[in-house]
Amino acid sequence: MYEIISARLGTPGDTFTPDDATNVEALLDGGFIKEKNPTNNAKSVKVTPSQQVPDDLQIDTE
Amino acid sequence: MATSTYLSAPVVTVNSVDLSDQATSAVITRVIESLESSSFASNSRTYTAGMENSTITVTLYNSYAVTETYATLKALVGTQTTVTIKPTVAATSATNPIHTLTGCYLESLPLVNGQLGALDTIDITFTGGVYSVAIA
Repeated sequence: MYEIISARLGTPGDTFTPDDATNVEALLDGGFIKEKNPTNNAKSVKVTPSQQVPDDLQIDTE
Repeated sequence: MATSTYLSAPVVTVNSVDLSDQATSAVITRVIESLESSSFASNSRTYTAGMENSTITVTLYNSYAVTETYATLKALVGTQTTVTIKPTVAATSATNPIHTLTGCYLESLPLVNGQLGALDTIDITFTGGVYSVAIA
């Protein structure tokens, strides 16, 4: 996924989807587009004391 | 008499980048190479169609500014890309067709064309690829 930077290519901020004949490396090199960073939507999970495994139920793997 | 007059607003794109404001000339020529098919039975030379080898030649102001001519072309030398030309910026139609060379090759790029008291302009030619025209 790429994001348009230059107005010469389209609306800055829009997603750019290259076709097969587009030289993407040249567009990246020229500063016309940039790779989109994947959005991190994962939320942190809080572990409550009741979810903690008691010591006597833990498996000794040694 | 119907004519085509290019006063302003033709659209030229190279590798999807709109270079219309840097272009002063654009020529697309559809070429299908000729293969001679004359024989001892011929009284004149005859030819048949060979491979297509169309070209687009564009004259551009040579700008080194960010996302201008040089930035667009520098990484395209020796590679294939797509070039489009449309007579005007208006919607594509039968009277405003968009011509496309897909997979055309840029063999050379003039880096400096300096003359005293003149703007730096370059002529670049894209060769080969598949020609198509769209009217919608």
